[in-house]
Amino acid sequence: MLDNNKIKTRISQILSVPSEKITDNAVLQELVIDSFILIDMVIDLQNTFNIRLNQEDLIPVKTVGDLISVMNSKT
Amino acid sequence: MKIQPLTENERWLLSFYRTSEISGALFFGRLAKSLPPGPIQTDLTKHFADESQHSWFWTRCLQTLGHEPIKLDTAYQDQYISAAGMPANIMEVLGITLIFEKRVIGQYALHRQAQDLNPEIKKTLDLIVEDEKWHIEWVTQALKNMEGEYGKEHIDKTLKRFYDADKEVYQKTVKEHEERIAGILKFKKD
Repeated sequence: MLDNNKIKTRISQILSVPSEKITDNAVLQELVIDSFILIDMVIDLQNTFNIRLNQEDLIPVKTVGDLISVMNSKT
Repeated sequence: MKIQPLTENERWLLSFYRTSEISGALFFGRLAKSLPPGPIQTDLTKHFADESQHSWFWTRCLQTLGHEPIKLDTAYQDQYISAAGMPANIMEVLGITLIFEKRVIGQYALHRQAQDLNPEIKKTLDLIVEDEKWHIEWVTQALKNMEGEYGKEHIDKTLKRFYDADKEVYQKTVKEHEERIAGILKFKKD
């Protein structure tokens, strides 16, 4: 099981978004306009937490909480 | 050969190339920053530097021809994510990069054959195409090196998916800007 708070802190650092905005219900596409920054974030999270995600894994992901659930399912 | 002044459509197309190179540079730069040390980090850093340089080449080309670049809000590759979905790992990122680089080299080669091509544009295209060849080489090799980890079949399937998406995006882009492009990419009869 990954540390959800650590994931949120890392997301906040990568996106340069205040940590209080990184809630479970925060919609990823609304946190950052440029989708290419989201790609960079997902790759960074995999390197940081030593997991691997595929494109299919991200299809249902809309929010920070969805992303954390998917990441936890890969541990 | 009589050198024609740059038309507004040519100015737009060169600005479109410039914007696309800037978007590529920003994306690869961020990625190069977040990847752990290793051969992919090294090649990606060089790739990022090239894309950045290319955006400068187009800026310089436009200014040499007496124009400023047009500020464009979206780049060609911005449409990739909605057409192909978001790549999630480094193999998928390199997969989409390979398809995109092939599209770029194809487009530049097509432009290179245009009738009465301005020598300054020709010089810029030639400069950039040399780097693009290396981009395709290193990404192809990196994907080959990943076959043990991801499986050749899975990589091939990923490339096919991105290839189909690129075809869709290219056709849409050409259709959208048909009038601008048609006047520029006229070819010699011989």
